[in-house]
Amino acid sequence: MSGIDPIKFEVIRNAFVEVTEEMSAALRRSAYSTNIKTRCDFSCAIFDRNLNVLAQSFAQANHLGSLVRMIPLAVQSYGAENFKPGDGIVLNDPFLGGVHLNDITIISPVYFDGEVFGYVASLAHHVDVGGGAPASIGAFQEVYQEGVIIPPVKLVDDWTICDDVFRLILSQVRSKRETAGDFRAQIASNNTGIRRLTTLLDRHGASVVSEYVTELIEYTDRLTRAEITKLPHGTFSAEGVVDNDGFTDEPVKLVCSIVIDDDGVLFDFTGSDVQRPAPVNMTLSMAYAGAAYVLRCIVDIEVAINAGFYRSVRMVAPEGTVVNCTPPAPVVGGWETHTRMIDVMFKALSPAVPEKVPAGTKAMICHAGFGGVDPRSGEFYCFLETLGGGYGGRIASDGPDAVQAHGQNTENAPIEETEMSYPVRITRYELVDDSEGPGKFRGGLGLRRDYEFLDHEASFTVLSDRDRWGPWGLFGGDAGQRASYILNPDGDAKELGSKVTVPLKSGDVVSYRTCGGGGYGSPLDRDPKRVLQDVREGKVTAERAAGVYRVAIDTRTWTIDETKTAKLRST
Amino acid sequence: MSNSHRLGVDIGGTFTDATLIDEATGEVRICKVSSTPDDPSRGFLEAVERILQEAGLPYTDVGYVVHGTTVATNAIIEGNLSPTAFVTTDGFQDMLEIARQIRPSLYDIHFEKPRPLVPRHRCFGIPERLDAYGDIVVPLDEDALRTTAERLKGENIESLAVCFLHSYVNADHERRAGEIFREALPDVRISLSSDIAPEFREYFRASTTIINAGIQPIVARYLDRIERRLRESGLSAELLIMQSSGGVFTFAAAADKPVYMVESGPAAGVIATSFLGEKLGHKNLISFDMGGTTAKTGLIQDGTPGVTKDYEVGSAASSSEHGAKADGYPIRTPVIDLVEIGAGGGSIAWIDGGGVLRVGPQSAGADPGPAAYGKGGREPTITDANLVLGRIDPQNFLGGELELDVESARTAIEDRCASHLGMDVVEVAHGIVEIANAAMTGALRRISVQRGYDPRDFVLVGFGGAGPLHANRLADELEIPQTLIPMSPGIFSAMGLLSTDLKHDYSSTFVTQLDDTVPTDLLQEFERLEAQGRTALDQDQVEEQRMQFVRQLDLRYFGQSYELTLSIQDPGFHPEEMLRLAERFHCEHERVYGFSAPDEPIELVNLRLSAIGTIAKPSLRQLAEDDRDASSAVLAARSVYFAESGGFVDCPIYDRYQFHAGTRIEGPAVVAEMDSTTLIHPGYKASVDDIGNLLITKGD
Repeated sequence: MSGIDPIKFEVIRNAFVEVTEEMSAALRRSAYSTNIKTRCDFSCAIFDRNLNVLAQSFAQANHLGSLVRMIPLAVQSYGAENFKPGDGIVLNDPFLGGVHLNDITIISPVYFDGEVFGYVASLAHHVDVGGGAPASIGAFQEVYQEGVIIPPVKLVDDWTICDDVFRLILSQVRSKRETAGDFRAQIASNNTGIRRLTTLLDRHGASVVSEYVTELIEYTDRLTRAEITKLPHGTFSAEGVVDNDGFTDEPVKLVCSIVIDDDGVLFDFTGSDVQRPAPVNMTLSMAYAGAAYVLRCIVDIEVAINAGFYRSVRMVAPEGTVVNCTPPAPVVGGWETHTRMIDVMFKALSPAVPEKVPAGTKAMICHAGFGGVDPRSGEFYCFLETLGGGYGGRIASDGPDAVQAHGQNTENAPIEETEMSYPVRITRYELVDDSEGPGKFRGGLGLRRDYEFLDHEASFTVLSDRDRWGPWGLFGGDAGQRASYILNPDGDAKELGSKVTVPLKSGDVVSYRTCGGGGYGSPLDRDPKRVLQDVREGKVTAERAAGVYRVAIDTRTWTIDETKTAKLRST
Repeated sequence: MSNSHRLGVDIGGTFTDATLIDEATGEVRICKVSSTPDDPSRGFLEAVERILQEAGLPYTDVGYVVHGTTVATNAIIEGNLSPTAFVTTDGFQDMLEIARQIRPSLYDIHFEKPRPLVPRHRCFGIPERLDAYGDIVVPLDEDALRTTAERLKGENIESLAVCFLHSYVNADHERRAGEIFREALPDVRISLSSDIAPEFREYFRASTTIINAGIQPIVARYLDRIERRLRESGLSAELLIMQSSGGVFTFAAAADKPVYMVESGPAAGVIATSFLGEKLGHKNLISFDMGGTTAKTGLIQDGTPGVTKDYEVGSAASSSEHGAKADGYPIRTPVIDLVEIGAGGGSIAWIDGGGVLRVGPQSAGADPGPAAYGKGGREPTITDANLVLGRIDPQNFLGGELELDVESARTAIEDRCASHLGMDVVEVAHGIVEIANAAMTGALRRISVQRGYDPRDFVLVGFGGAGPLHANRLADELEIPQTLIPMSPGIFSAMGLLSTDLKHDYSSTFVTQLDDTVPTDLLQEFERLEAQGRTALDQDQVEEQRMQFVRQLDLRYFGQSYELTLSIQDPGFHPEEMLRLAERFHCEHERVYGFSAPDEPIELVNLRLSAIGTIAKPSLRQLAEDDRDASSAVLAARSVYFAESGGFVDCPIYDRYQFHAGTRIEGPAVVAEMDSTTLIHPGYKASVDDIGNLLITKGD
């Protein structure tokens, strides 16, 4: 680090991360939709003029990885020379670096002394972007049916929203007021980022900061490479599937082969299925975000990551397949495939780094989207949320219950907030007992959430997966229980399937039961005390404890029947 | 004159501080004893006994006692809550297990969610249901409540929390459940969410209620023990506790709603700063309190400390870099807004895998402590770095109680850091201090810039054992024009205990669009809350003329989820006032988020009322004016390192106790006193005011 003052280095490094956190705070607090303001389905990042990512907020890892690819492509396609101060470029085009249409990004240039220093970007999942079903997550066969496609165009000019473009976008959208508010929140976020970066540049001078940016990226690169050299060499492969594609029951095959050698880590997805006219295709940015996520999980670096880390993300994703689709492939469920591919990558790596991977985990986004005309206001409303499930067991601990997994970390929507703002009643929200994948360290439990529709007809979309096969176990562990999506569970119950839009009558109930996580190690090696605790807490029934774990629990005294257990376990 | 003294007792991790103020003279006496974590009441009583003995005062001369304590926080962090049960609406008994369904870290596959505070087998669902308007969808099943009570008889629980859905708008079911449980389980303490935190978002309200229930028996026993012993000793004074919000309430109120005192300790420093600001006529201040393991900063705007309701207790010290959230337990009571980071005198400096010098968050604590303590510590700390730079006097640390070993400090920095960096020990020592300063600058930014305030409009107040060493440098970095160092910075926090008012906070969810709000409805609701507050103040025996009621509204654009809080000036709610309210909201939104949307409807969300029983503020001792120059206060000269001077320079060391009102000194300078050391950088000057504060400003 010659010529670099290590102290100033640390100061600038921290300041960048803080800029993105301030952007997040501004976005969250001024947003309108529950999905953004409460569930935090958004991310912020800053880039230098060479389109290297400098820092990212604590947010959705899948967004963060995809932004790294998306921003350079978008800026190049719009033309860096066409930017001027006060501009904001909006985009969601899946084939110009984007992901699915709901994830809309706004990019703003940051100028200092008349020159561009870099860019700030915020990406948020908008509840509705038009298309064939409320919340824009329906199963269709072309991307054109999924909603409004926005190539990089100017939404903000001289710090003011371009009314023409804004109205054109909003006219495609069902929940106009909410969406308009969310756009304003993204712009507020970018303005916050610009303000803070400008202060930083004022303080240290643009040329000095640029010099430190270079070193910061090199430093992170060195740290990453040093960690990668600690990984065992070899080629590690696995396969998996997305259960179906929404139009056919033909599982979508996912293949990954991970090569670790002196050149680093290469993620090769060759062999995965050809793209489908169904909502299961990843854009290249989605696949990239998946590979980046797994690499980040298996290297031990303590500092916030930037372009220096992403240099080590190397990937092969053949065009025209579900890991890198071409137009007009639909993409709305691409994140479902992305998160499953992460599970496949962890499975591939399990012999290499068994201490750094979970057993099969939720690995589905599990969207619940609905909308209709709110009988209270007469306005069209849209609602979207995604539900947690069981996490996979780990080498020395159980998988947590009812939690988001992998690149996804969005919060649940509070029931009281949901019922106050939307004409729906949540009638049940609980863990699904006995849904865990048994193991020495069991998988987490899935959860159940029931939605009852009040005084109106609504359209409901399930965009999820895992209703045929639960997450796999590792090293002798068993699979978690599969998910199910049920219409009117207490009446004329009907399984809906995992990718479907259904019309609902007033009083109809949709019940989600998400999958349990896979177990790690043999359930016969599970410490009976852990089994006792599960039974005591009602997460596992005594019958299942005896049958699957071969542990006998006396439910009157809440003790382990040692004699019976020894007998059960010896056979 | 009897009852002429006020007594503050602040229990920290290492020391229990007692402060005694003579109301007549303003004279302040302090006393430090070791804390007794196994039973904090012992340290409390010992400190009280000692300070009164030293002052030669009988217990009867104490007018009132205010206590700041971490007993509630510690119980939560250490997982020592009383056995508690949780009762909610049927179908939602897994609310605590599911929590917020998120991971506290993004890339760590070994993450854990916070462990539910009530185990699942003690969580019960009762058939009942309200809708979002408070209308009954399913009537309350009283038999189910009785059956649950029967089951709980065998569970040995000490407390019980009830949180039904939408009880913030209609509390009838919860109240009835409370009656039934009280009757069936007379020894169990019951907390109702509609009493404790009647605001929407069920998990957050439930979590607050459960924490209240879980710490209630512990806090009640603790307070009872203290009260009994003090009464036996003849003390008849009012006994008060600092709340997280900065107000105080009685021991009885604390035993009822202990969740309101979870951050009792840290709040005191901000209140002390606010009090000092009021004395000096400063309305905008930033407090900077740096001790042995952490640095805490709070902000006072227009005379009022910032208060947040977005707070997690028991969360690991979070840094934005690692981005932890949801790893603790949310509470939705007012908490003084503080940013706390792991940078204190004991924070350890180290070299990371990329060859970069880092500081903290690991701390050497008090044992073994910094290398210079000579108690076996080998890791270099911020204190060691300050020592090597000549900024601390090795002979006079903590009033000479501990002699510091400069050589050990140098060796630690050399071995652990300098040799790896190929840099000189002094250069690295300076680097350690500057990295810590950078982190603390970040914390000051978060409390100011990130909340929409410009630090240059504020006065920085530095205190805590280590705060005065760093405050001037931080002010320089943030261009804060004035830095104040109060007398006895090491025990300044305890002053906060003695300078606040009795306070009870109430809120009620009242969701309407501002345009549609009927002013008389609003007025009625405020009056209802005020009646509650008045009853509480009556119970505290506050006379009418000492009562004050502060009314606030939480507002947002219809559709948003985060509210901005505005104070109501005119309680009449004339239409003009409503219009002004809308204008004020747009302005505040513009200030906080950089935009407003004047065409958008505004929604009213919560009414807030603070019932305040004012307490006369202590007077502080005046320093005599003296026109002697400062040279008479010079103790010695020492070589002290300043980067801006290019290295070590000869620097006068002043004895703060020799200063008079009007004393002026110029930097570079070191000002020593028993419990702290103040550093004044070259290019800065300092003057002493009539109550002994050092005011540091830029030289001409």
